[in-house]
Amino acid sequence: MLASLSFALLASAGSPGAPELVAVQAGTIHVVAEGRVIEGGGTLLIRDGKVVAVDKSSALAVPPGARVVDYGPSAVIAPGLVCADSTFGRQLPAERTADVGIRAADNFDLYASYASTLASGVTTAYVPPARGRLISGQGAVVKLAGGPGATRFLSTSAAIEGSISSDARNTPGYWEPPIPATVDVGLGVEQRQLPRTTMGAILALRELLALAAEGGPSKEYGPYVGPELAQLLAKNRPWRMRAESVGEIRALLGFFGENGLPLVLSGAGEADELAAELARAGVAVIWNVPLRPNAPPLDRGKDEESRWPRYDVASKLAAGGVRFAIAPAVGGPASTLRFAATVASRAGLSEELVLRALTLTPAEILGVADRVGSLAPGRDADLVVTSGSPLAPTSSVIATWVEGEVVWKVKETAATVLEVEELHVGDGTILAPAQILLLDGRIAEVGRLVARPEGSTVVRGQAAMPGMIDARGHLGLEGSSKVPAARFELKRLVEPGDYADRRVAAAGVTSVILTPRGVGSGGTPSLAYKPAGVDLESMVIADPVALNVQWSPERNPNRHKAGESVRELLRKGAEYKKRWDDYEVALKSWTPPPPAPPAAEPAKKEGSGEEPKAEGEGETKKEKEEEPKDAPPKPFTGTWETEVVDPASGEKTRLRLRLLHEGEKLEGNLRCNLASDSLVELSGALSEGAISISGLGSRGRVLIEGKVIEVEKKKDAKKKKDEKAAEEAPQVRRLAAKLSWPGGELEFEAPQTGEDYPVARRPERRKEKSESAPEPKGKPKSPGINPDLEPVRAALEGRIALVVEVYRADEILDCVRAHEEVGIRPILFGADEAWKVAGELRGRVAGVLLDHRVTYSDAEMGTRSRNRYAELQSAGIPVAFQSSAEEGAAELPMIAAYAVANGMSPVGAIRALTSDAAEMFRIGHRVGRVQAGLDADVLLLDGSPLRVGTGVQRAWVAGREVRLR
Amino acid sequence: MDRSLLRTMNGTALALGLTLFAAGPAPAAQSGNVAIRAGKIITNTGEVIEDGTILVENGRITAIGKDVKVPLLVEVVDARKLVAFPGWVEAISNRGMDRANENIDVAAFLDVRDSIDPVNFYFEDALRAGVTTINVQQGSDCVIGGMGHVVKPLGMTVEAMSVVPRAGLVLSAAPRRGKSQATQAQALRRAFGDLRRYLEGIVQEKRDGKDLARREALYQGREPSEGEQPDKGVAMKGTAWKVQGMELVPRWELDEKQVPLLRMVEGDTPAFVYCSSPSEVSIAIEVARDNGFLQRTTFVVDAPCWKAADELAAAGRPVILDSNLVHVENHPVTGEEVRTFVPGVFHEKKVQFALRSQNASTQSLWYQAARCVAYGLDRQTAIDAATKVPAKILGLEQRVGTLEPGRDGNVLLYSGDPLSVTSFVEHVFIEGVHAYDRSKDVRIKHLQTGAQPENTSASEARPEDRTEAEKQGDEGEEEEKDG
Repeated sequence: MLASLSFALLASAGSPGAPELVAVQAGTIHVVAEGRVIEGGGTLLIRDGKVVAVDKSSALAVPPGARVVDYGPSAVIAPGLVCADSTFGRQLPAERTADVGIRAADNFDLYASYASTLASGVTTAYVPPARGRLISGQGAVVKLAGGPGATRFLSTSAAIEGSISSDARNTPGYWEPPIPATVDVGLGVEQRQLPRTTMGAILALRELLALAAEGGPSKEYGPYVGPELAQLLAKNRPWRMRAESVGEIRALLGFFGENGLPLVLSGAGEADELAAELARAGVAVIWNVPLRPNAPPLDRGKDEESRWPRYDVASKLAAGGVRFAIAPAVGGPASTLRFAATVASRAGLSEELVLRALTLTPAEILGVADRVGSLAPGRDADLVVTSGSPLAPTSSVIATWVEGEVVWKVKETAATVLEVEELHVGDGTILAPAQILLLDGRIAEVGRLVARPEGSTVVRGQAAMPGMIDARGHLGLEGSSKVPAARFELKRLVEPGDYADRRVAAAGVTSVILTPRGVGSGGTPSLAYKPAGVDLESMVIADPVALNVQWSPERNPNRHKAGESVRELLRKGAEYKKRWDDYEVALKSWTPPPPAPPAAEPAKKEGSGEEPKAEGEGETKKEKEEEPKDAPPKPFTGTWETEVVDPASGEKTRLRLRLLHEGEKLEGNLRCNLASDSLVELSGALSEGAISISGLGSRGRVLIEGKVIEVEKKKDAKKKKDEKAAEEAPQVRRLAAKLSWPGGELEFEAPQTGEDYPVARRPERRKEKSESAPEPKGKPKSPGINPDLEPVRAALEGRIALVVEVYRADEILDCVRAHEEVGIRPILFGADEAWKVAGELRGRVAGVLLDHRVTYSDAEMGTRSRNRYAELQSAGIPVAFQSSAEEGAAELPMIAAYAVANGMSPVGAIRALTSDAAEMFRIGHRVGRVQAGLDADVLLLDGSPLRVGTGVQRAWVAGREVRLR
Repeated sequence: MDRSLLRTMNGTALALGLTLFAAGPAPAAQSGNVAIRAGKIITNTGEVIEDGTILVENGRITAIGKDVKVPLLVEVVDARKLVAFPGWVEAISNRGMDRANENIDVAAFLDVRDSIDPVNFYFEDALRAGVTTINVQQGSDCVIGGMGHVVKPLGMTVEAMSVVPRAGLVLSAAPRRGKSQATQAQALRRAFGDLRRYLEGIVQEKRDGKDLARREALYQGREPSEGEQPDKGVAMKGTAWKVQGMELVPRWELDEKQVPLLRMVEGDTPAFVYCSSPSEVSIAIEVARDNGFLQRTTFVVDAPCWKAADELAAAGRPVILDSNLVHVENHPVTGEEVRTFVPGVFHEKKVQFALRSQNASTQSLWYQAARCVAYGLDRQTAIDAATKVPAKILGLEQRVGTLEPGRDGNVLLYSGDPLSVTSFVEHVFIEGVHAYDRSKDVRIKHLQTGAQPENTSASEARPEDRTEAEKQGDEGEEEEKDG
């Protein structure tokens, strides 16, 4: 089978045995050779490490079977950069002032990793043998990645490297130990080594040429240099000489002109002043940009003659017609080449010329242009892929290829930069154009030009806006219509990874105010969460975010009782709050007796509700009553959680099974993304201690068969939750079962993590125990936590929002007045007639949530209809859109679009979808705007959001793109 | 130090009724005749003999097996509770010398023979660790270091210890202190360039009718060696390059400084080339190949050189590993620590490798082999790397590394498995001579019991430190007492 598979692979790649064909695509390809630039989508075909063809994607068909790597329309491909100077190897100079026997190739470590240099786009480098000598040896040209061992050298003898500049004028004296050092022989003295001046350097070069002609040994330069130099001269190796000042350069030009030797000038700090002469002599220049990033600046001297660094040398050389390559500073790392080039280009060098000076020109100067430096067919497939122009400081390297292989690629999702023509911040302001940097789940920067950390993914688009907020949705309730108590923590219902949740987020609704269906008399909590969050921490924005109450049920005939229960709740809440306020005041003024143990003090002072004594007392009793001691054990009821491994991909996935065991029947639900994208409702039966339970998931029928095994309880219970249970029961139960679904099956063993069926489970009792010593006398007594009134207290203190369902105009006014008395600005829900009293409501309510009837008409109005959203908003009352649906939240933008189509301000509609909704629920510090510091929930749109036909292209939640499978 | 060694060995000899050196009346033991009856004999040829006998005559094993007829007058050592094992072979060591010759870069004319210190503590310790064959070579801080010497850790003179004299030249591709890899490579290449230029020069002189070389040789007091015709040379051998006309120059006239290198180019001398990093391996291979001695070269590699295992495999030559068996580096991108078990890589790439101890007592060969087993290498490969492979590298595969008839009588008697930390070398026989007895090892006794060895009390001056007069005084006192 394996054989047939491999054959199939070969067959798909064209003829069997042929090397693989790779097609690399990007928006722009700089071929460099002949100044060719392919724009608007180019394709590069690579076979066997060489470029086979390069052209516009429209003109070059990708042959069937080729592997296609597409970097997208904004990416740019350029030839791998050729660094004409580098610091690789241990460049220690020889003892002699001139020694051509030192080979840089011997110094270069082929086994080391050059990842940081490759990451900067440099794929080929010249390695000098050493520095600081008149002749320091032979340089080499080497690829920084690729084939094995010495095949990576493009040339082991690329040039005779030397310098007549000031760095080469301090050669120490030469001394050789005599063997044997006897009295007769003596130790001898060291021999002085020249040159010390430019003049001396030229003289020394003359002497060396003479030596080479003679081929004999020399007392001054040692026995080797003559013959070795003669060999190199016979091969017509270029001399790569460093010279900085005008005088030095002129001296070199003179000497090499006279002797007719090929010269390459390096360093070249003042070469621009001799541009005409250099051009006439046809001497190529390697200009070392005199700037060392990541190093302290140098003081270069204060007198007039001091040479300060100049960055316009290259542009003047270009103007003078000199062939030049750009290299990093002498002694600067090769990875700074791209930066050095951007500095060079600021003196007005065209991008094309700079790119050439980093690729083809150095390759020509180094004699390796037949292999590297351009992307013409036949050359090595060494490429650098950048997120924008290869020379723009703001573009970063996405990937580097050497000989058709990716040798470096950026780590994904480190940071994302969105570049858009139009950014709707969410509060009504529009920036055009704008960029947004998403970093670590937050918006790090917003502006015209933002930072680009290494590895940023750059995404371009038409427009961007904050993720939308569904101000009242049911997504996450999974159809449940139970009404939880005010104390219930809704965040226990949500969990990451649901497909429907991701679809809603991909449609643009990245936050949902999850509100249960129906309202209880003591108020019902709401949760603000992000459906597409990857973990609970990033999912939950605030729990609770609001308390929902009902002023007048829509069809309640007992109108005189309207508001009674809300008033009562507010009264109770106010009393409760007062007790706590008094307590806190008393606690602040109370001074503890000196010897009192201070350990428990700080927590209590804050009144944070961690009061252990009174808390939950009634609750415990109730529970005991509910569970008679002789009730038969129901070993299956509860929650079973584990991690399972996808047999196909090897990825880990959470599995959670909740079961309710009644008589012989079992019901429950399963959450496991392997088997189903959504929650699976299960039902089944129990027989002889084994369960068999099944349900319909998104991919078909899911079946679980297994039984419970009792396992000795380990001493260290992993989850805090279990601790109490663990103390009581010596055993922990595990469910060993087989899960099968259409397309796969697996066996799992899940420990029991809860013992009740938790759909309407009460919040667990708090774990903190009163360990502290008896309280000191005279300490004010805590009023105790009442979990049912805590949300009301939070609303009274303005920490959470209060949503009141109210419809009629008079009741709205009553309601607002009642809330004003206790200092609350409520959010009105329903509020059919709010438009009638809009003027009176302004400033007194946090906002209004209308239902889906955007336009509204009745018999009185005839055919005229009014847009309630638009009217309220223009009256200065914030409105927000809400779905009152689960996955139907995805249609929220359509509701807003309809409102716009019927006269609502487009900017106002965006505000209502984003910042207004966030502000009324007091979560504006997390979501609702595209602003630095807020959560990175951003939508990329295919057009202006002000146009109704615009759709959401891509969405990010907490900095991660929402991906549908 | 020398005295205590002597004493240890003396005591050993007494304990087993044998005698060492000239101190006793049993010359049979000195001549290397002994029969060892061991509870178990691990011959290292794949055969394990329970309750067998090893008969050693004249220093060589003549018989081994269950029923060996022991001739009359051969001492029988009863070691039926012990395990016999061949002596370990140290493939290269730069210990045991009074000073390494590392001051001159190219010093092929030096010989460690002149530097070996027979009473060096190292050799005593080698016995404790069961190392019976040691290739003493120059260290790596050189270009061409000099001639090595294979010795056994037994004897009071280099001549007595000698197993193979002139056992190979040491070269180093690893840069000397303060030098770069390129200068080192250049110096290595130039050493051979210099040799060639010298030979060409001297041939040219002969052709020109000058006789400077002979005059210099006579002036230095050199003479033709035995069997050499005083006026006739021999043509140069060698596979890589040759200097024509060498038959004109008698060898004794050649500069002594150049001769060892010439012999190496001619393929007569083994070479040991130090490499500290993988890129030096390719330089070393290139130099060895270009000068015709690759087929006699062993690479002495440091841990990072596992990266060049492919090149070494292609060269087909063995390596001697650094005592550091695990190479640790940080991943260049992630920064994670990456550990590589070096012998495992070479084993996988089918490169023959020998282990090397850090010192005779710390991380000795048995320990290195045991570590290899702990890292998952199979046991026989690990043991071979400290016995047969080094024996082969030293050209001694017919003499040491296994217990077979014809091999040297180098036998270790272990108290248990040789690779176990709980077993010890109880006795060592080198060429049939009883060289070590753990029960009489005063230093071990000192370590175990805390007892001061005789005459080494910390409070008193040690005997050798005392002046001659004091010693005489002591003797005088004794005499008085006796009287």
